[in-house]
Amino acid sequence: MAALPRRIIKETQRLMQEPVPGISAVPSETNARYFHVIVTGPEDSPFEGGLFKLELFLPEDYPMSAPKVRFITKIYHPNIDRLGRICLDILKDKWSPALQIRTVLLSIQALLSAPNPDDPLANDVAELWKVNESEAIRNAKEWTRRYAMDN
Amino acid sequence: MSSIMDERVSDEIEALEAILMDDVTIKRVGDVPHIIETVLHPSTGNDVDRQYVCATLVVKLTPGYPDSSPEVTLRNPRGLDDEILANIHMQIREKLADCRGEPVVFELIELIRDCLTESNLPSGQCMICLFGFTKGDEFIRTQCYHYFHSHCLAAHLISGRRYYQEELELLPNWQQVTRAPFKEICPVCRITLTTIEVETLADAPPPVASFTAAPFFLTDEMKELQKKMAKLLAYQMSKGGVIGCGDSGPPPLTITTPEDNENNENSNGSPGASNEGAKASSGIINGRQNGNSSNDNSCPGSPAARPAYRGPYRGFNRRGKPGRRGRGAAR
Repeated sequence: MAALPRRIIKETQRLMQEPVPGISAVPSETNARYFHVIVTGPEDSPFEGGLFKLELFLPEDYPMSAPKVRFITKIYHPNIDRLGRICLDILKDKWSPALQIRTVLLSIQALLSAPNPDDPLANDVAELWKVNESEAIRNAKEWTRRYAMDN
Repeated sequence: MSSIMDERVSDEIEALEAILMDDVTIKRVGDVPHIIETVLHPSTGNDVDRQYVCATLVVKLTPGYPDSSPEVTLRNPRGLDDEILANIHMQIREKLADCRGEPVVFELIELIRDCLTESNLPSGQCMICLFGFTKGDEFIRTQCYHYFHSHCLAAHLISGRRYYQEELELLPNWQQVTRAPFKEICPVCRITLTTIEVETLADAPPPVASFTAAPFFLTDEMKELQKKMAKLLAYQMSKGGVIGCGDSGPPPLTITTPEDNENNENSNGSPGASNEGAKASSGIINGRQNGNSSNDNSCPGSPAARPAYRGPYRGFNRRGKPGRRGRGAAR
Protein backbone atom coordinates (compact mmCIF):
# COMPACT_ATOMS: atom_id res chain seq x y z
CA MET A 1 0.00 0.00 0.00
CA ALA A 2 1.15 3.50 -0.78
CA ALA A 3 2.37 5.68 2.06
CA LEU A 4 -0.36 7.17 4.17
CA PRO A 5 -1.23 10.61 2.78
CA ARG A 6 -0.18 13.39 5.09
CA ARG A 7 -3.72 14.69 5.17
CA ILE A 8 -4.87 11.52 6.92
CA ILE A 9 -2.07 11.83 9.46
CA LYS A 10 -2.98 15.44 10.05
CA GLU A 11 -6.65 14.65 10.55
CA THR A 12 -5.82 11.79 12.91
CA GLN A 13 -3.63 14.00 15.06
CA ARG A 14 -6.15 16.81 15.12
CA LEU A 15 -8.91 14.44 16.18
CA MET A 16 -6.82 13.65 19.25
CA GLN A 17 -5.55 17.16 19.96
CA GLU A 18 -8.75 19.08 19.34
CA PRO A 19 -11.48 16.51 19.83
CA VAL A 20 -15.03 17.27 18.79
CA PRO A 21 -17.40 17.16 21.78
CA GLY A 22 -19.38 13.95 21.76
CA ILE A 23 -17.24 12.32 19.11
CA SER A 24 -14.11 10.24 19.40
CA ALA A 25 -12.26 8.52 16.59
CA VAL A 26 -9.03 6.58 16.62
CA PRO A 27 -7.31 4.57 13.90
CA SER A 28 -6.98 0.84 14.29
CA GLU A 29 -3.77 -0.79 15.45
CA THR A 30 -3.28 -2.54 12.13
CA ASN A 31 -4.73 -0.16 9.55
CA ALA A 32 -4.38 3.61 9.74
CA ARG A 33 -7.26 4.00 7.28
CA TYR A 34 -9.69 2.15 9.51
CA PHE A 35 -11.11 4.18 12.40
CA HIS A 36 -12.95 3.13 15.51
CA VAL A 37 -15.56 5.75 16.29
CA ILE A 38 -17.90 6.56 19.15
CA VAL A 39 -20.67 9.10 18.68
CA THR A 40 -22.73 10.07 21.71
CA GLY A 41 -26.46 10.46 21.22
CA PRO A 42 -27.36 14.16 21.01
CA GLU A 43 -29.21 15.81 23.88
CA ASP A 44 -32.98 16.11 23.48
CA SER A 45 -33.00 13.31 20.94
CA PRO A 46 -34.29 9.77 21.50
CA PHE A 47 -30.65 8.71 21.34
CA GLU A 48 -29.59 10.84 24.31
CA GLY A 49 -27.41 8.92 26.73
CA GLY A 50 -26.37 6.36 24.12
CA LEU A 51 -22.82 5.65 23.03
CA PHE A 52 -22.89 4.50 19.43
CA LYS A 53 -19.96 2.62 18.00
CA LEU A 54 -19.26 3.15 14.31
CA GLU A 55 -16.58 2.08 11.91
CA LEU A 56 -15.10 4.43 9.35
CA PHE A 57 -12.85 3.53 6.47
CA LEU A 58 -10.92 5.93 4.26
CA PRO A 59 -10.75 4.50 0.73
CA GLU A 60 -7.60 4.58 -1.37
CA ASP A 61 -8.53 7.83 -3.14
CA TYR A 62 -9.70 9.66 -0.01
CA PRO A 63 -10.27 12.65 0.14
CA MET A 64 -11.38 12.52 -3.49
CA SER A 65 -14.04 10.02 -2.51
CA ALA A 66 -16.09 9.82 0.67
CA PRO A 67 -15.21 7.75 3.73
CA LYS A 68 -17.23 4.59 4.23
CA VAL A 69 -19.08 4.78 7.52
CA ARG A 70 -21.37 2.30 9.25
CA PHE A 71 -23.03 1.94 12.63
CA ILE A 72 -21.89 -1.05 14.63
CA THR A 73 -24.19 -0.47 17.58
CA LYS A 74 -27.82 -1.20 16.78
CA ILE A 75 -29.85 1.94 16.34
CA TYR A 76 -33.51 2.61 15.62
CA HIS A 77 -33.46 5.38 13.04
CA PRO A 78 -35.28 5.89 9.72
CA ASN A 79 -32.08 6.75 7.84
CA ILE A 80 -29.97 3.91 9.19
CA ASP A 81 -30.76 0.37 8.10
CA ARG A 82 -30.44 -2.94 9.92
CA LEU A 83 -26.89 -3.38 8.69
CA GLY A 84 -25.93 0.00 10.11
CA ARG A 85 -25.66 1.68 6.73
CA ILE A 86 -26.35 5.38 6.74
CA CYS A 87 -28.40 7.40 4.27
CA LEU A 88 -26.64 10.74 4.16
CA ASP A 89 -26.02 12.79 1.04
CA ILE A 90 -22.50 13.90 1.93
CA LEU A 91 -21.45 10.25 2.06
CA LYS A 92 -22.58 9.89 -1.55
CA ASP A 93 -23.10 12.42 -4.31
CA LYS A 94 -22.66 15.47 -2.07
CA TRP A 95 -19.20 14.47 -0.89
CA SER A 96 -16.58 17.19 -1.12
CA PRO A 97 -12.86 16.88 -0.38
CA ALA A 98 -13.21 19.94 1.86
CA LEU A 99 -15.13 17.72 4.28
CA GLN A 100 -13.18 15.78 6.86
CA ILE A 101 -13.60 12.86 9.23
CA ARG A 102 -14.73 15.27 11.92
CA THR A 103 -17.31 17.01 9.73
CA VAL A 104 -18.69 13.68 8.53
CA LEU A 105 -19.12 12.46 12.09
CA LEU A 106 -20.72 15.75 13.11
CA SER A 107 -23.19 15.36 10.25
CA ILE A 108 -24.03 11.86 11.41
CA GLN A 109 -24.58 13.18 14.93
CA ALA A 110 -26.85 15.86 13.47
CA LEU A 111 -28.78 13.15 11.62
CA LEU A 112 -29.53 11.58 14.99
CA SER A 113 -31.04 14.88 16.13
CA ALA A 114 -33.05 15.32 12.96
CA PRO A 115 -34.24 12.01 11.48
CA ASN A 116 -35.67 12.34 7.99
CA PRO A 117 -38.33 9.67 7.43
CA ASP A 118 -39.10 11.08 3.97
CA ASP A 119 -35.74 9.83 2.71
CA PRO A 120 -35.72 6.44 4.36
CA LEU A 121 -33.21 3.66 4.37
CA ALA A 122 -34.93 1.52 6.98
CA ASN A 123 -38.43 1.38 5.52
CA ASP A 124 -40.32 -0.11 8.46
CA VAL A 125 -38.76 2.38 10.86
CA ALA A 126 -39.46 5.30 8.55
CA GLU A 127 -43.05 4.16 8.08
CA LEU A 128 -43.69 4.08 11.82
CA TRP A 129 -41.88 7.39 12.21
CA LYS A 130 -44.38 8.90 9.80
CA VAL A 131 -47.62 7.31 10.99
CA ASN A 132 -46.89 7.25 14.71
CA GLU A 133 -43.91 9.36 15.61
CA SER A 134 -44.35 9.05 19.35
CA GLU A 135 -44.17 5.29 19.19
CA ALA A 136 -41.18 5.42 16.87
CA ILE A 137 -39.43 7.72 19.29
CA ARG A 138 -40.23 5.37 22.14
CA ASN A 139 -38.72 2.54 20.16
CA ALA A 140 -35.61 4.59 19.46
CA LYS A 141 -35.26 5.37 23.17
CA GLU A 142 -35.73 1.74 24.08
CA TRP A 143 -33.11 0.62 21.58
CA THR A 144 -30.74 3.26 22.88
CA ARG A 145 -31.25 2.13 26.47
CA ARG A 146 -31.01 -1.52 25.56
CA TYR A 147 -28.12 -1.54 23.13
CA ALA A 148 -26.12 1.66 23.30
CA MET A 149 -25.21 1.89 26.95
CA ASP A 150 -21.80 1.68 28.53
CA ASN A 151 -21.11 -0.67 31.39
CA MET B 1 16.33 72.98 13.94
CA SER B 2 15.27 75.33 11.24
CA SER B 3 11.64 75.65 10.33
CA ILE B 4 12.58 75.89 6.67
CA MET B 5 12.03 72.54 5.03
CA ASP B 6 15.12 70.65 4.13
CA GLU B 7 15.45 70.61 0.36
CA ARG B 8 16.19 66.90 0.40
CA VAL B 9 12.85 66.29 2.08
CA SER B 10 10.81 68.56 -0.17
CA ASP B 11 12.35 66.93 -3.25
CA GLU B 12 11.51 63.49 -1.93
CA ILE B 13 7.90 64.41 -1.14
CA GLU B 14 7.48 65.96 -4.57
CA ALA B 15 8.83 62.83 -6.25
CA LEU B 16 6.60 60.55 -4.16
CA GLU B 17 3.49 62.49 -5.08
CA ALA B 18 4.47 62.58 -8.72
CA ILE B 19 5.15 58.86 -8.98
CA LEU B 20 2.66 57.26 -6.59
CA MET B 21 -0.03 59.88 -7.11
CA ASP B 22 -3.22 58.72 -5.36
CA ASP B 23 -1.46 55.75 -3.79
CA VAL B 24 0.40 57.92 -1.32
CA THR B 25 -1.00 60.06 1.48
CA ILE B 26 1.08 62.88 2.94
CA LYS B 27 -0.12 64.21 6.25
CA ARG B 28 1.19 67.64 7.06
CA VAL B 29 1.43 69.73 10.17
CA GLY B 30 1.05 73.23 8.82
CA ASP B 31 3.17 73.16 5.68
CA VAL B 32 5.57 70.60 7.00
CA PRO B 33 5.16 66.97 5.86
CA HIS B 34 4.75 64.80 8.92
CA ILE B 35 3.54 61.33 7.98
CA ILE B 36 3.82 59.45 4.68
CA GLU B 37 1.48 56.51 4.12
CA THR B 38 1.25 54.09 1.23
CA VAL B 39 -0.29 50.66 0.68
CA LEU B 40 2.20 48.22 -0.79
CA HIS B 41 1.51 45.09 -2.85
CA PRO B 42 3.81 42.46 -4.31
CA SER B 43 5.09 43.14 -7.81
CA THR B 44 2.93 41.05 -10.09
CA GLY B 45 2.78 43.35 -13.07
CA ASN B 46 -0.81 44.34 -13.60
CA ASP B 47 -2.11 40.99 -12.41
CA VAL B 48 -4.03 42.16 -9.36
CA ASP B 49 -5.59 38.69 -8.97
CA ARG B 50 -2.22 37.29 -8.04
CA GLN B 51 -1.57 39.67 -5.16
CA TYR B 52 -2.23 37.66 -2.03
CA VAL B 53 -0.52 39.86 0.56
CA CYS B 54 -0.22 43.55 1.31
CA ALA B 55 0.82 46.01 4.02
CA THR B 56 0.60 49.74 4.64
CA LEU B 57 3.92 51.52 5.09
CA VAL B 58 3.76 54.42 7.54
CA VAL B 59 6.80 56.74 7.73
CA LYS B 60 6.73 59.38 10.44
CA LEU B 61 9.32 62.03 9.72
CA THR B 62 11.38 63.11 12.68
CA PRO B 63 12.43 66.76 13.02
CA GLY B 64 16.03 65.95 12.08
CA TYR B 65 15.11 63.79 9.02
CA PRO B 66 16.95 62.83 6.89
CA ASP B 67 19.97 63.27 9.19
CA SER B 68 18.10 61.22 11.78
CA SER B 69 16.06 58.13 10.91
CA PRO B 70 12.28 58.40 10.56
CA GLU B 71 9.90 56.19 12.57
CA VAL B 72 8.74 53.37 10.31
CA THR B 73 5.79 51.05 10.98
CA LEU B 74 3.79 48.54 8.93
CA ARG B 75 0.04 48.76 9.38
CA ASN B 76 -2.69 46.30 8.31
CA PRO B 77 -0.45 43.50 7.13
CA ARG B 78 -2.54 40.95 5.17
CA GLY B 79 -1.58 37.36 4.53
CA LEU B 80 1.73 37.77 6.38
CA ASP B 81 2.55 35.75 9.45
CA ASP B 82 4.59 36.99 12.41
CA GLU B 83 7.79 35.42 11.21
CA ILE B 84 7.65 37.15 7.85
CA LEU B 85 6.76 40.47 9.49
CA ALA B 86 9.65 40.21 11.95
CA ASN B 87 11.98 39.57 9.03
CA ILE B 88 10.69 42.62 7.14
CA HIS B 89 11.10 44.80 10.26
CA MET B 90 14.66 43.64 10.66
CA GLN B 91 15.48 44.55 7.07
CA ILE B 92 13.84 47.96 7.57
CA ARG B 93 16.08 48.67 10.55
CA GLU B 94 19.17 47.75 8.57
CA LYS B 95 18.10 49.93 5.67
CA LEU B 96 17.46 52.91 8.00
CA ALA B 97 20.90 52.54 9.54
CA ASP B 98 22.54 52.35 6.10
CA CYS B 99 20.74 55.37 4.71
CA ARG B 100 21.04 57.85 7.53
CA GLY B 101 21.61 61.29 6.10
CA GLU B 102 19.74 60.70 2.86
CA PRO B 103 16.07 60.34 1.92
CA VAL B 104 14.99 56.76 2.50
CA VAL B 105 11.29 56.44 1.65
CA PHE B 106 11.79 55.16 -1.91
CA GLU B 107 14.36 52.71 -0.65
CA LEU B 108 11.89 51.47 1.95
CA ILE B 109 9.10 51.08 -0.57
CA GLU B 110 11.33 49.04 -2.83
CA LEU B 111 12.58 46.90 0.04
CA ILE B 112 9.12 46.08 1.38
CA ARG B 113 7.73 45.44 -2.08
CA ASP B 114 10.51 42.92 -2.67
CA CYS B 115 9.71 41.24 0.64
CA LEU B 116 6.02 41.05 -0.24
CA THR B 117 6.78 39.64 -3.66
CA GLU B 118 8.88 36.95 -2.04
CA SER B 119 6.13 36.11 0.47
CA ASN B 120 3.29 36.40 -2.00
CA LEU B 121 1.39 33.30 -0.83
CA PRO B 122 -2.06 33.11 0.71
CA SER B 123 -2.23 32.34 4.40
CA GLY B 124 -4.33 29.47 5.66
CA GLN B 125 -4.43 26.04 4.12
CA CYS B 126 -5.66 24.26 1.05
CA MET B 127 -8.92 22.66 2.13
CA ILE B 128 -8.26 19.64 -0.06
CA CYS B 129 -4.90 18.47 1.29
CA LEU B 130 -4.91 20.54 4.53
CA PHE B 131 -1.37 21.79 3.86
CA GLY B 132 -0.41 25.43 3.83
CA PHE B 133 0.99 27.21 0.80
CA THR B 134 4.74 27.36 0.71
CA LYS B 135 7.35 28.62 -1.66
CA GLY B 136 7.40 26.55 -4.82
CA ASP B 137 3.73 25.61 -4.62
CA GLU B 138 1.49 26.23 -7.58
CA PHE B 139 -1.94 27.30 -6.47
CA ILE B 140 -5.08 28.93 -7.74
CA ARG B 141 -7.64 31.36 -6.45
CA THR B 142 -11.12 30.46 -7.60
CA GLN B 143 -13.73 33.00 -8.63
CA CYS B 144 -15.22 32.52 -5.15
CA TYR B 145 -11.89 33.53 -3.50
CA HIS B 146 -10.95 30.08 -2.25
CA TYR B 147 -7.36 28.98 -2.55
CA PHE B 148 -6.25 25.48 -3.53
CA HIS B 149 -3.06 23.92 -4.73
CA SER B 150 -3.51 23.55 -8.47
CA HIS B 151 -2.59 19.89 -8.10
CA CYS B 152 -5.28 19.30 -5.46
CA LEU B 153 -8.06 21.11 -7.30
CA ALA B 154 -7.21 19.22 -10.48
CA ALA B 155 -7.43 15.90 -8.63
CA HIS B 156 -10.83 16.90 -7.25
CA LEU B 157 -12.21 17.97 -10.63
CA ILE B 158 -10.88 14.93 -12.45
CA SER B 159 -12.27 12.45 -9.94
CA GLY B 160 -15.52 14.41 -9.76
CA ARG B 161 -15.96 13.95 -13.50
CA ARG B 162 -15.06 10.27 -13.26
CA TYR B 163 -17.65 9.61 -10.53
CA TYR B 164 -20.26 11.51 -12.49
CA GLN B 165 -19.51 9.35 -15.53
CA GLU B 166 -19.64 6.14 -13.53
CA GLU B 167 -22.99 7.08 -12.01
CA LEU B 168 -24.31 8.07 -15.40
CA GLU B 169 -23.46 4.73 -16.93
CA LEU B 170 -25.46 2.95 -14.24
CA LEU B 171 -28.61 4.83 -15.19
CA PRO B 172 -31.08 3.59 -17.79
CA ASN B 173 -30.80 5.36 -21.13
CA TRP B 174 -33.82 7.58 -20.75
CA GLN B 175 -32.47 8.94 -17.48
CA GLN B 176 -29.00 9.45 -18.91
CA VAL B 177 -30.47 11.85 -21.45
CA THR B 178 -32.25 13.97 -18.90
CA ARG B 179 -29.46 14.03 -16.32
CA ALA B 180 -27.97 17.45 -15.59
CA PRO B 181 -24.54 17.80 -17.21
CA PHE B 182 -21.40 17.52 -15.09
CA LYS B 183 -20.47 20.67 -13.22
CA GLU B 184 -17.12 21.60 -11.80
CA ILE B 185 -17.79 22.58 -8.22
CA CYS B 186 -15.77 24.44 -5.62
CA PRO B 187 -15.10 21.95 -2.79
CA VAL B 188 -15.68 24.62 -0.15
CA CYS B 189 -18.77 26.54 -1.28
CA ARG B 190 -20.10 24.30 -4.08
CA ILE B 191 -20.37 27.20 -6.51
CA THR B 192 -20.03 26.12 -10.15
CA LEU B 193 -16.54 26.91 -11.33
CA THR B 194 -16.51 28.38 -14.79
CA THR B 195 -13.00 29.70 -15.23
CA ILE B 196 -10.91 26.63 -14.48
CA GLU B 197 -8.83 24.74 -16.99
CA VAL B 198 -8.30 21.31 -15.52
CA GLU B 199 -5.65 20.31 -18.07
CA THR B 200 -3.39 23.20 -17.07
CA LEU B 201 -3.91 22.60 -13.37
CA ALA B 202 -3.16 18.90 -13.66
CA ASP B 203 0.40 19.66 -14.76
CA ALA B 204 1.18 21.33 -11.44
CA PRO B 205 3.38 19.47 -8.96
CA PRO B 206 1.95 18.17 -5.66
CA PRO B 207 2.15 20.53 -2.67
CA VAL B 208 5.68 20.91 -1.35
CA ALA B 209 4.67 20.10 2.24
CA SER B 210 3.40 16.67 1.22
CA PHE B 211 6.96 15.51 0.69
CA THR B 212 8.09 16.30 4.19
CA ALA B 213 5.43 14.23 5.91
CA ALA B 214 6.24 12.91 9.34
CA PRO B 215 5.66 9.16 9.55
CA PHE B 216 2.51 8.01 11.25
CA PHE B 217 2.59 6.32 14.61
CA LEU B 218 0.05 5.51 17.27
CA THR B 219 0.44 7.59 20.40
CA ASP B 220 -0.21 6.20 23.87
CA GLU B 221 -3.30 8.36 23.98
CA MET B 222 -4.63 6.66 20.86
CA LYS B 223 -3.89 3.23 22.26
CA GLU B 224 -5.75 4.17 25.42
CA LEU B 225 -8.75 5.24 23.36
CA GLN B 226 -8.60 2.02 21.36
CA LYS B 227 -8.80 0.04 24.59
CA LYS B 228 -11.75 2.09 25.81
CA MET B 229 -13.59 1.50 22.57
CA ALA B 230 -12.84 -2.22 22.56
CA LYS B 231 -14.27 -2.42 26.06
CA LEU B 232 -17.43 -0.61 25.05
CA LEU B 233 -17.82 -2.86 22.03
CA ALA B 234 -17.42 -5.99 24.14
CA TYR B 235 -20.02 -4.73 26.58
CA GLN B 236 -22.52 -3.80 23.90
CA MET B 237 -21.89 -7.12 22.20
CA SER B 238 -22.76 -8.92 25.42
CA LYS B 239 -26.04 -7.03 25.44
CA GLY B 240 -26.83 -8.09 21.86
CA GLY B 241 -26.43 -4.50 20.78
CA VAL B 242 -23.96 -5.05 17.98
CA ILE B 243 -25.18 -5.50 14.44
CA GLY B 244 -24.42 -8.96 13.11
CA CYS B 245 -22.95 -10.25 16.37
CA GLY B 246 -24.81 -12.29 18.96
CA ASP B 247 -28.13 -11.44 17.39
CA SER B 248 -30.10 -12.93 20.25
CA GLY B 249 -31.92 -9.69 20.92
CA PRO B 250 -35.37 -9.13 19.49
CA PRO B 251 -35.59 -8.08 15.87
CA PRO B 252 -37.10 -4.66 15.17
CA LEU B 253 -40.66 -4.09 16.36
CA THR B 254 -41.19 -7.59 17.62
CA ILE B 255 -41.06 -7.29 21.38
CA THR B 256 -44.36 -9.08 21.60
CA THR B 257 -44.37 -11.72 24.28
CA PRO B 258 -44.44 -11.41 28.05
CA GLU B 259 -41.23 -13.44 28.07
CA ASP B 260 -39.47 -10.63 26.23
CA ASN B 261 -40.73 -8.23 28.79
CA GLU B 262 -39.51 -10.40 31.61
CA ASN B 263 -36.07 -10.80 30.09
CA ASN B 264 -35.97 -7.11 29.63
CA GLU B 265 -36.84 -6.43 33.24
CA ASN B 266 -34.22 -8.87 34.45
CA SER B 267 -31.48 -7.44 32.34
CA ASN B 268 -32.56 -4.08 33.62
CA GLY B 269 -31.58 -5.22 37.07
CA SER B 270 -34.75 -3.97 38.74
CA PRO B 271 -34.83 -5.86 42.04
CA GLY B 272 -37.76 -8.25 42.26
CA ALA B 273 -39.38 -6.92 39.17
CA SER B 274 -41.63 -9.79 38.39
CA ASN B 275 -43.67 -9.54 35.29
CA GLU B 276 -46.78 -9.08 37.35
CA GLY B 277 -45.29 -6.41 39.51
CA ALA B 278 -44.12 -4.45 36.51
CA LYS B 279 -47.56 -4.60 35.02
CA ALA B 280 -49.17 -3.50 38.22
CA SER B 281 -46.96 -0.50 38.75
CA SER B 282 -47.16 0.58 35.15
CA GLY B 283 -50.91 0.32 35.39
CA ILE B 284 -50.94 2.85 38.21
CA ILE B 285 -48.75 5.23 36.29
CA ASN B 286 -50.84 4.88 33.21
CA GLY B 287 -53.93 5.59 35.24
CA ARG B 288 -52.38 8.83 36.38
CA GLN B 289 -50.96 9.88 33.08
CA ASN B 290 -53.65 8.94 30.69
CA GLY B 291 -56.42 10.59 32.54
CA ASN B 292 -57.94 11.75 29.33
CA SER B 293 -58.28 8.25 28.04
CA SER B 294 -60.11 5.29 29.44
CA ASN B 295 -58.38 2.96 27.03
CA ASP B 296 -55.03 1.60 28.12
CA ASN B 297 -54.13 0.85 24.54
CA SER B 298 -54.92 4.33 23.35
CA CYS B 299 -51.72 4.54 21.34
CA PRO B 300 -51.99 2.99 17.92
CA GLY B 301 -49.66 0.19 17.02
CA SER B 302 -49.50 -3.48 17.68
CA PRO B 303 -51.81 -4.13 20.63
CA ALA B 304 -49.76 -7.12 21.66
CA ALA B 305 -46.72 -4.93 21.96
CA ARG B 306 -48.29 -2.54 24.40
CA PRO B 307 -48.07 -4.53 27.61
CA ALA B 308 -44.55 -5.61 26.79
CA TYR B 309 -43.42 -2.05 26.33
CA ARG B 310 -45.06 -0.63 29.37
CA GLY B 311 -42.57 -1.73 31.95
CA PRO B 312 -39.39 -0.37 30.41
CA TYR B 313 -41.05 2.87 29.43
CA ARG B 314 -42.20 3.87 32.86
CA GLY B 315 -39.43 6.38 33.05
CA PHE B 316 -40.59 8.24 29.99
CA ASN B 317 -44.21 8.22 31.06
CA ARG B 318 -43.24 9.68 34.36
CA ARG B 319 -41.81 12.71 32.66
CA GLY B 320 -45.36 13.46 31.70
CA LYS B 321 -44.60 13.56 28.03
CA PRO B 322 -46.19 10.48 26.60
CA GLY B 323 -46.67 12.14 23.24
CA ARG B 324 -44.24 13.65 20.82
CA ARG B 325 -40.83 14.51 22.05
CA GLY B 326 -38.00 15.93 20.07
CA ARG B 327 -38.86 16.50 16.47
CA GLY B 328 -42.37 17.75 16.02
CA ALA B 329 -43.06 17.85 19.73
CA ALA B 330 -45.53 20.41 20.98
CA ARG B 331 -43.56 22.88 23.09
